[in-house]
Amino acid sequence: MEEIVLGIGITALAGALATIAGAAEDTESDIGSQGDPNSQVQLAPQMGYIHRIFNKAISGEPPAYAAWCAIGAGVAWAFLQIGYNPALAIILGSIVAVFVQGIYCISGYLGRTASLAKFEQPVYIDIIKSLLSVTMAHAFIAIFCTVTVCYLMATVLHAQPFALPILGLLWGLALGAAGSATGNPFYGKERQYQNQNFGAGVPISASGNIVRYAEAGERSSLDNGWFTTKFAGPASGICFGLIVFLELWRTVLFETSLGGWGAIVAGIVLILIFAVINLWVEKWGRETYGPYTSEEASS
Amino acid sequence: MSALGGKAAGGEGINWQGVAVGIVIIIIALGITFAFGSEGLVIPLLGIIIGGALIGFGVHFVPVGGAPAAMGQAPGIATGVAMLAAGAGLAGLFGGAWAFSATGDFLTAVLGGAVGGGMMMAITCLMVNLTYVFAMGVPAASGKVDKDPITGYSFPEYKSQGTEGHGLPFISYVGGVVGGFIAGLGGTLIYIELLLVYSAGLPVLLEASAEAVAPLAVSLAGILAIGFFLINAVLSAYNITGTIEGPHDPKFKRVPRAIIGCAVASAFCGLISILIIVAF
Repeated sequence: MEEIVLGIGITALAGALATIAGAAEDTESDIGSQGDPNSQVQLAPQMGYIHRIFNKAISGEPPAYAAWCAIGAGVAWAFLQIGYNPALAIILGSIVAVFVQGIYCISGYLGRTASLAKFEQPVYIDIIKSLLSVTMAHAFIAIFCTVTVCYLMATVLHAQPFALPILGLLWGLALGAAGSATGNPFYGKERQYQNQNFGAGVPISASGNIVRYAEAGERSSLDNGWFTTKFAGPASGICFGLIVFLELWRTVLFETSLGGWGAIVAGIVLILIFAVINLWVEKWGRETYGPYTSEEASS
Repeated sequence: MSALGGKAAGGEGINWQGVAVGIVIIIIALGITFAFGSEGLVIPLLGIIIGGALIGFGVHFVPVGGAPAAMGQAPGIATGVAMLAAGAGLAGLFGGAWAFSATGDFLTAVLGGAVGGGMMMAITCLMVNLTYVFAMGVPAASGKVDKDPITGYSFPEYKSQGTEGHGLPFISYVGGVVGGFIAGLGGTLIYIELLLVYSAGLPVLLEASAEAVAPLAVSLAGILAIGFFLINAVLSAYNITGTIEGPHDPKFKRVPRAIIGCAVASAFCGLISILIIVAF
């Protein structure tokens, strides 16, 4: 019984940490412009729209975060092996990982922007100076929280077999997948194409014409981070938090029930509940917004 | 027709010459494995081949819209095919490996992995739809079919002008969950087969007790299972070429090619993985 209570406590803590990690991950990727919407940041100068948006998408978020979290977890694991305090080991591991992320950001921005030279897109050094520390800070939070989740799994949940670095790789990839899936549409459609109609997709003919000006002066990627933390960041956090929490919850609580089938049955029930909620959301959207009408018909 | 005037590549057909070459590679891989370790290693390799084919099959169910989905220009989840499927499958692998470690039961472990992958996709797809509907004010509409085969909802009037559709219709949601389920199943199957091979082979190779090599066996099986996952997910992504809406998308008809390709790749990579314990 005590083990289950401890397991539930660890599950709750891991879920909370994963929520923070997801929110920080999405905000970092929006400030750094790493997800799929970055295709428009790369496309804009080619269509004649010069901008001051950060541009560092060498790889997608999932493999990038898999690498950073695996580095963080691997270094932390090495420090743990020589007797370091776990908190210090995780912080040191996350710092090393975040320096790798910083190098990746600089090379990503310089490389991608330099490739746009023939479209007269300048490389702005002040963008690197002002935004690098911000993306690194958000990445540190995301990596630190994820590595801590992995540490909790590796040390307290004895039944799971993987060592800390492999858990870092697994959950880093899941973190990037959840964050990019949930957060990208909000950054792409709602922020980059803020000048397009709300409640409709961006017409393909508008591709590349991203919003480049703010209330005063040119739009910076910091503005994008400010905007996406209103929805995309928290939504990504809830997504990753739910994944981690429910995966642990169903196993910790139901693993031994129903002859070993309890966790499977619990998972299927959860999937069905989510499917029903999704069905309601889709129906609500159709009934509330209604079909699109032409301008003549609606006037 | 391609831009250069040649025959268009990447259609739905199967290249039987390629299939024959692939089958020969699988037979050679099985033959070499048999020569080294009799049927004791052939069955795990068969499990790895089936697991790889399952991953390839599962990836085709996952609705992936890539960059166009991020702009609300196409339906699906706004990220890459391979990465999303790998994310779901690896979350499943964690659950499956945990179940196998705790119970030692093969069936509950692979099904536990499958449910873990399906649950990851169920949560992710729900959050995607919440974003589209509540934050962007966009209803779900498929660009490939006029009616949802499950709910019967019609789509053409819910598609905004100048787009191919947006959001995740229910058929795509179901596709995502099924894809995560199958991919999680395949990944966990590969992990367990590799773990059984290494748990039996490494003590002999390293002249150590089974308990002493257990962490190494688990880590090696885990990291190679992740590798298998990425290989098969990327191969499937090449077959999909860009975006897919799910099982109702015409591109889904290409799935037999992916299954064959993933089986061949898994056979070769599985052979290399097994040779680690017999060739040194």
